[in-house]
Amino acid sequence: MTSSPRSGRPRSARKTHRNGSAHRQAALLRLTTGIAASTSEADVYRSMVEGLHDEALGYNFLGAFLVDETGDRVLQASVGWPDAPYRFRAHPGQGLSEQVLKDGQLRYTADVTRAVGYVPSLAKGSEVDVPLRVDGVVIGVLVVESSEPNAFGAEDFEILTAAANQASIAIGRARLLDEERRRVAEHKALLDTMADLSSDLELPRVLQAVLNRAVTLLGVTGGEVAIYEEQTKQLVVVASQNIGKDSTGTRLNVGEGAMGHTARTREPLIIPSYHEWLGRSGKYADVMVHSVMGAPLLIGRRLVGAIATVHSDPNRLFGPEDLRLLTMFAPQAAIAIENARLYAAAQRQKQYFEELVSNSPVAIVTLDTSHQVVSCNPAFESLFGYTQGEAIGRNLDELISTEATRSEAVEYTRQALDRAIHGIARRRRQDGTPVDVEVLGVPVIVEGERVGLMGLYHDVTELLAARREAEAANSAKSQFLANVSHELRTPLNAIIGYSEMVQEEVVELGQPELAADLTKIQSAGRHLLALINDILDLSKIEAGKMDLYLETFEIGTLAQEVATTVRPLVEKNANRLLLDLPKQPLTMHADLTKVRQMLLNLLSNACKFTERGTITLTLRREHEATSQDDVVVISVSDTGIGMNANQMGRLFEAFAQAEASTTSKYGGTGLGLAITKRFSHMMGGDVTVESQPGQGSTFTVRLPVTVVGDAGRATQAATGRPAAAQQLASPPR
Amino acid sequence: MPKILLVEDNEMNRDMLSRRLQKRGYEVSMAMDGRQGVEMARAGGFDLILMDMSLPEIDGWEATRQLRAVPETRTVPIIGLTAHAMSGHREKALEAGCNDYDTKPVELPRLLAKIETLLGGPP
Repeated sequence: MTSSPRSGRPRSARKTHRNGSAHRQAALLRLTTGIAASTSEADVYRSMVEGLHDEALGYNFLGAFLVDETGDRVLQASVGWPDAPYRFRAHPGQGLSEQVLKDGQLRYTADVTRAVGYVPSLAKGSEVDVPLRVDGVVIGVLVVESSEPNAFGAEDFEILTAAANQASIAIGRARLLDEERRRVAEHKALLDTMADLSSDLELPRVLQAVLNRAVTLLGVTGGEVAIYEEQTKQLVVVASQNIGKDSTGTRLNVGEGAMGHTARTREPLIIPSYHEWLGRSGKYADVMVHSVMGAPLLIGRRLVGAIATVHSDPNRLFGPEDLRLLTMFAPQAAIAIENARLYAAAQRQKQYFEELVSNSPVAIVTLDTSHQVVSCNPAFESLFGYTQGEAIGRNLDELISTEATRSEAVEYTRQALDRAIHGIARRRRQDGTPVDVEVLGVPVIVEGERVGLMGLYHDVTELLAARREAEAANSAKSQFLANVSHELRTPLNAIIGYSEMVQEEVVELGQPELAADLTKIQSAGRHLLALINDILDLSKIEAGKMDLYLETFEIGTLAQEVATTVRPLVEKNANRLLLDLPKQPLTMHADLTKVRQMLLNLLSNACKFTERGTITLTLRREHEATSQDDVVVISVSDTGIGMNANQMGRLFEAFAQAEASTTSKYGGTGLGLAITKRFSHMMGGDVTVESQPGQGSTFTVRLPVTVVGDAGRATQAATGRPAAAQQLASPPR
Repeated sequence: MPKILLVEDNEMNRDMLSRRLQKRGYEVSMAMDGRQGVEMARAGGFDLILMDMSLPEIDGWEATRQLRAVPETRTVPIIGLTAHAMSGHREKALEAGCNDYDTKPVELPRLLAKIETLLGGPP
């Protein structure tokens, strides 16, 4: 042939005669059965040569060669050449069997010593070379030698051809089977990879696992994994294995080096000889790497990172199979890395919030839907005296409510599963002492599912005590004011009344020069009385003792009556008062006395701050979009001195006449507007002002046409908390 | 001369108002609390009653109600007087049966106008 191993010492030449036909038939059957029973390609070669080696057939020197990708024939199995090296290779140009590869025909060399190209293994003899075909392509050759020339005949050709054909079929089948097995193994490896990678969410471990898996899967020397940093637009090597140096921490720009290249092209890449590759990075000058295969790690088209695997053995090359495997592996690695990164980000977020909760001065507790404590923070522990360990799993309301507040607490908890609640309540510490707390409860809803609630507790014991004290003090003050006012009024009545009487009499008594002084006494007295009355009103309002007396009246008539009352005031500064009243009677249902007082306040104000000007009182009925009922709009405009924004800011506060100096100049109690505002609120309305210095002022009161009895409370509720919260807001006594 | 009963517990108020009304031609009798006021009113002869609302013994509202409950005083005009134009005082006074209402300290011209309206003219 061939390529047999060095000369070899044949045990015996092929027997010239075969034993009986029965033996041969049995041997051929064994041969056929052996080949058919082979489960791998290697088995097929072995069965073929060993089956032909049967004594009944008499072939003594046999070798099965397979052509590899380099064109070498590589020995797969042999019999009779004991010294044949494992995987002996016959290079192109060596041996007789090469011809078979070219023409696919059986070749018989009757005398090897005469043949050209024979690689001597036997001093003399003959050789038959039979092609092995898979899918019509010659994949190898069966070489049969004899130490005798002219040892083979037609019958041998027939037997050997039949054996080779049967082997070829078996090889094809084994290859398919192998392919199948390999794919199964690959899929298993990939599945393992997925399971492996997704079971871990710690980023450094995942990255290392990705690399380990790739190295194992591809049978490479080593490799590295980099993740892509959005902020810097760089790849950062985060895992490195067996590439001749630890490259961890290396930063690569997109386009730099093998991984940078794949990151830019978004395509995998094979570099057969890295040190000759023009795209190599200077950062990898010192690595022990021969060939490199890299792939981008992508999720869709988004770059997550890159992976590179390397062979340091110059004989190992990356082929399309490797590329295919890496292409299958890369997306999973990308997902694993992304998951780990997301998880890490979520962990950071979680830690951040846990820090917030744990350092919060407000006691925070979370409950499940059955009101059991899931977690609580240190502030909760110190407020209620339970450690988290003691609290978890317990029913919160049993833990911190008192006998008296149990049912109320349970009700709040129940409500807080549905909506936010807010209130002030009394709770109990572990040692049994009560604590007043402001409670905020909110449902915890995760992805549309209500999983429980969160409760926030703020100790308001001192705050409440202070508030009670303040309320008591305020109430005492109001009572005191009411008492004092009453006591002041009685003598004041006498002063006003007697000065009035004396005034009437001085003329008759012939001392008219005293009249002016008496008028001063009287007017000072009336001013003092007005002040006292206003203070009494305000203190009543603030003490909540001011009631509404509702009746139906025509406000136009009231306006005219008030206009008459204020006429002296209007004339005092040479002003004109215009009444702009609706043509139809405007009937409203409200507190007449208060409406009259408001009109008086506004008109007397306007008179005070206007000289030689015009004061206009306008009444209108308007429809208001925001309320079901119409409103009565009372507006008082003047052409007086006006106010700047700063002065308007405190206008409706008690005793807030723009400056102390104005009081002395213009008089008035400084309480009229404060009372007007409070009265309008009590009746569910409001008062507003528009003014500019020198341009006059317009005060506008808006009241519902029909004031409802509890308008005062309704107004408070509308401007404050919702009714339910308000109800919670009163502390249990 | 029209006869007015002034029911008022404060001495100075009583003194002032009675003197001023007398000067204007009214005959004024005085009661110092609600009980006395009711007794005097029922004894008869008054054309009009000025009733302070804040009185000892029986307050002005109750006194008015009692006077309205009996035939002999059912139709006698009563003007209620209170210390301050507090919401409710006026309504309560009218509810109790007062024909009119005024505040103290009285502004005499206004009060006289009300009296004249009820009595159908000046004395």
